[in-house]
Amino acid sequence: MAVFADLDLRAGSDLKALRGLVENAAHLGYSVVAINHVVEFKEKKQEIEKPVAVSELFTTLPMVQGKSRPIKVLTRLTIIVSDPSHCNVLVACTHLDVDLVCITVTEKLPFYFKRPPINVAVDRGVCFELVYSPAIKDSTMRRYTISNALNLMQVCKGKNVIISSAAERPLEIRGPYDVANLGLLFGLSESDAKAAVSTNCRAALLHGETRKTAFGIISTVKKPRPSEADEDSLPACKKAKCEG
Amino acid sequence: MWSALDKMPAPATTYERIVYRNPSEHHYMKVCLEFEDHGVGLNVAQFKQLLISALKDLFGEVAAALPLDVLTYEEKTLSAILRICSSGLVKLWSSLTLLGSYKGKKCAFRVIQVSPFLLALSGNSRELVLD
Repeated sequence: MAVFADLDLRAGSDLKALRGLVENAAHLGYSVVAINHVVEFKEKKQEIEKPVAVSELFTTLPMVQGKSRPIKVLTRLTIIVSDPSHCNVLVACTHLDVDLVCITVTEKLPFYFKRPPINVAVDRGVCFELVYSPAIKDSTMRRYTISNALNLMQVCKGKNVIISSAAERPLEIRGPYDVANLGLLFGLSESDAKAAVSTNCRAALLHGETRKTAFGIISTVKKPRPSEADEDSLPACKKAKCEG
Repeated sequence: MWSALDKMPAPATTYERIVYRNPSEHHYMKVCLEFEDHGVGLNVAQFKQLLISALKDLFGEVAAALPLDVLTYEEKTLSAILRICSSGLVKLWSSLTLLGSYKGKKCAFRVIQVSPFLLALSGNSRELVLD
């Protein structure tokens, strides 16, 4: 079974709070966390703040409860694009080179999800992310979270969904099994809900890693040589060698 | 003589299969309430009131009326063992997960163990210390 992962810990300016957050996540049983830096997309060229270096955060990473390995801390960049003419969700699903598409919960989504772009995204390996920490803070947010989640589930049928906390403080994270139970509330089946915290997160991370690697694959097949001596049909490269 | 014995058919064996789908109708949860600042105390009545209001906020009056029992409660560590009927487990668990504050103070429920058998809550392999 893939290990539990929480791919969204909001990085504030306070390193100490972040440290407490990661320690709490390790204590709860998450083996992988990703510190999220959120950036607004602006037209002009902008400075993206330097991501927090993990080594300056911890000298020794805290141990995951129940396992003997230390927690793995990654960093992640989120870009908010609010201009619908520039880039909307449909484009992001199909063309943009991203690993995750976050479903915002701050307001009722103004558009409905359409099945074709979502299917294209699922085939490409793009995952959809739902966050649950607004639901803990405010009851209106709770309604929006659940309604947006149910909308998404109707279209994507629970495939490639991950759930993560956008936690800024240690008390906003919940344990992995609690989050899997929340997945049941959002309309996922039991196995999909558990996969949303473990398998799909791992898939999204691997998708990010493979973006840097191969762009294409060449496979070579050994061609059987014809039995008769076919001098004329020698491959062109060999002919060139003889001549040159 | 023994040839007749050979030809006697063996008695047919009968098998009876008993399947228990879910023998227990209650689920037991071991939970711990964690506050941001220490020094907040609740007695058992306030604790139960908190649980009922959490259920009511998320699921309404019908879920708040589920037969929920607090079997044990420790005020010092704010940990308790709850019993809920199996059909209400998902509702109770998710309303505990989404509870954010009590009387303006930030808190979080940590669910330590869930089991359909009370005996399973007596031992927790996650708290074992490996030497």
